[in-house]
Amino acid sequence: MADVDTDRLAARRPLSPHLTIFKPILTMMMSIAHRITGAGLYVGMALLTLFLLGAAIGGGAFAAVSWIASGFIGNLLMVMIVWAIFHHLLGGVRHALWDRGLYMDPQGRELLAQATLAGGILLTLLLYIFKTLAS
Amino acid sequence: MTVATRFNSGRTGSGDAYVSDRSGSPHAQFMRLTSYALIPLGALSAWWILGLAGKTLEGVRAEIGRPIPALALLAFGAVGMVHARQGMDEIIEDYVHDEALKTRALVANLWASRVIAALWVVAILLIAAPK
Ligand code: HEM
Ligand code: HEM
Repeated sequence: MADVDTDRLAARRPLSPHLTIFKPILTMMMSIAHRITGAGLYVGMALLTLFLLGAAIGGGAFAAVSWIASGFIGNLLMVMIVWAIFHHLLGGVRHALWDRGLYMDPQGRELLAQATLAGGILLTLLLYIFKTLAS
Repeated sequence: MTVATRFNSGRTGSGDAYVSDRSGSPHAQFMRLTSYALIPLGALSAWWILGLAGKTLEGVRAEIGRPIPALALLAFGAVGMVHARQGMDEIIEDYVHDEALKTRALVANLWASRVIAALWVVAILLIAAPK
């Protein structure tokens, strides 16, 4: 077949996936959230590295990076990083269960999706409350 | 199809796009193995990372300076960043289709992950290593 024909066929072929026509279901959202938290943690680790470096050097260096972990922005950042760790971690546990063929039926994977979402938020909240009470 | 056959994609035309380099299974295996180490390390690290919030310089140094948090965070940063490099490679390969840009993005990811891991380890050692 000539290349021209292939090109014309290719132009008519629909692209998949069509993001807008899928009904957003929880398992799909959790799959996407796993990727977003993974990429987010990359940025989070970079910020934490800057903060730790500032703390290691001290003085003006610490003053320059202290916003990363204190004040409104810093507290928000730390909570977001910790939530991303828990959510992504539970997503990893979910993958490990699936690798063993567990919880792959409709009820099972829905349960895991709910557990990932609720567990991530709950663990973050519990840790935050515990840390606030302890300090 | 021989090795020399160029893949003809309906979407992008002739070229090497979407040709597997057959590294999928080792990649998946690597992500799984590192993730097993990261489950305990991540849970422990979350504890001390949240503990950094609102601390003074002395407070931060006191927390990271203790041996158990220092060791756990060291391992979390090192294992976490090799894991993150592989994961980000996957994301880049999924979304960046321009060959030249993809190559540059992969190299940038390799070095960014190495620099973050190295500085992370150096910072914790500076704070926690016995003087
Ligand atoms: C009915 C529609 C869809 C099907 C059948 C589907 C199927 C899949 C499959 C089989 C995987 C591999 C899972 C894995 O390796 O863990 C995957 C991963 C992924 N999908 Fe979908 N998907 C659909 C819709 C979507 C949509 C609409 C989006 C984005 C808005 C999306 C984003 C992703 C992402 C980011 C990943 C990688 C995350 C991961 O590996 O866990 N998917 N999808
Ligand atoms: C806390 C413990 C962690 C666990 C249990 C874990 C587990 C996993 C697993 C199993 C995957 C593969 C997902 C798949 O095959 O679709 C993955 C992907 C990924 N992880 Fe982690 N991870 C952890 C921490 C981290 C950290 C700290 C970072 C960043 C610094 C990170 C960044 C990524 C990235 C970028 C991906 C690729 C996402 C994708 O392809 O959709 N992870 N993680």
